[in-house]
Amino acid sequence: MTTENSSHISRRNMLRTSGALVAGGAVLAACGTTSTHGVPRIGATPTIPKLEDAVVSDAALLRTAMSVEKMVANILSDSRVAGIADKVAAPIVAGYVAAHTAHLASLSTLVTANGGQPYNEPNEQLMVAYGNTVLTLMSDGKKATDVLPLTFALESLVAATYQYFVSLTTNGALRTEMMRLGATSSRRAAVAAQLISSGFKAFNVQYESDGVTQLADSVATFPNAFGALNAVQVTLGPDVKDAPRANVLMDTPSLNSIIY
Amino acid sequence: MVNHQVDLPEVATTSRRRLLTSLLAGGAAAVAAPLFAGRASAEGELLRDPKDFPSLNEALKRERQMAATYASAAAKASGDEKVALTLLLDHHNAYVDAIKGYLGSNAIAGTEAPLASPAGSFNQIASPLASLEDQTATMHTDRLTGLAGHDAATLIASIITIEARHAAALTLLGGASPLAAAGA
Repeated sequence: MTTENSSHISRRNMLRTSGALVAGGAVLAACGTTSTHGVPRIGATPTIPKLEDAVVSDAALLRTAMSVEKMVANILSDSRVAGIADKVAAPIVAGYVAAHTAHLASLSTLVTANGGQPYNEPNEQLMVAYGNTVLTLMSDGKKATDVLPLTFALESLVAATYQYFVSLTTNGALRTEMMRLGATSSRRAAVAAQLISSGFKAFNVQYESDGVTQLADSVATFPNAFGALNAVQVTLGPDVKDAPRANVLMDTPSLNSIIY
Repeated sequence: MVNHQVDLPEVATTSRRRLLTSLLAGGAAAVAAPLFAGRASAEGELLRDPKDFPSLNEALKRERQMAATYASAAAKASGDEKVALTLLLDHHNAYVDAIKGYLGSNAIAGTEAPLASPAGSFNQIASPLASLEDQTATMHTDRLTGLAGHDAATLIASIITIEARHAAALTLLGGASPLAAAGA
């Protein structure tokens, strides 16, 4: 039996050599130049200006709050909503519109104090995202019973907007002012919920006798212990044969709907 | 037959085991580094400002008082009224737990006495309970001005949103008109 180690490439040497090759390759790659030659083009190539970084300033938050208040006031006072409200909902809706309009004046003062220009227009991005859909569904459905659920959803949305904005500002006094306005929307949401499903039994989510299925058309006044920031959902529009009615999801303003 | 015996040192300067161990250690360090970096960054974001502790302990005390008030009311109630009062009690207990969780070891321990001893039907006790909810929400709203920590402010804001709802619903059930209850 011959046990001869005649190979000059031991395992150790191989590992050392491999390591040296990898390290050398990395050095060579780093020394290389980046080619600027891409696909050949004919004609002049316009220089694309770099977009400026948008800053979500306190003034931008307040202007956005104005746009949301204005949007809600406009939707609730629209003839497609206010025009079909019954005698219970009509004075509530009118009172809520007046409250949102009053908030615009308070916010306008705050915007100016924070170096911004007051914004008295509805939030265009949110109108495109769901506001116009809501009005179309209300027009198509013409259901008086949809007015209070829509009111509840919109007030919940405004309250969530202010709550969310608290996390976007470091100005303590502004946080207080925002939540003062947000709390009034919370109160209005609770009252709207109670007008839809009244009494203390409606505080929590109500279920059918099976204990699993949520009671149809019921609204919980306090669905959570803490204010939620998820999309507010509302069912609106005409009945559809063999299908559920339309659900609209309404989100709080995000970076693309902030009024900078 | 030729035998070539190669004498290797007993402890190689770079043994295979050492090499593999080094590679494993290096790999582990490379994997762990970003994790530790991420953790450090997350901890930086969640940093609690000690300046907030006194204010948050006041909020904790108030929520304990509110919980004690609802516990007292629920103990005297029955049926659906008890269920409703227990739900409100649960909410305030959740606020106590959340604030305590935020404060951690800086939370002041203790129990608090009820702010009132509501007795009677739900509709009779709704109005005084609504006043307490309203006061609590206002105290928390004012508290936001002095809070330095983002997370502390966010937590308190999420409590205010629902306590304002408590106040309005209880005001309505206490006999106020819808618009008065809404504060509109």
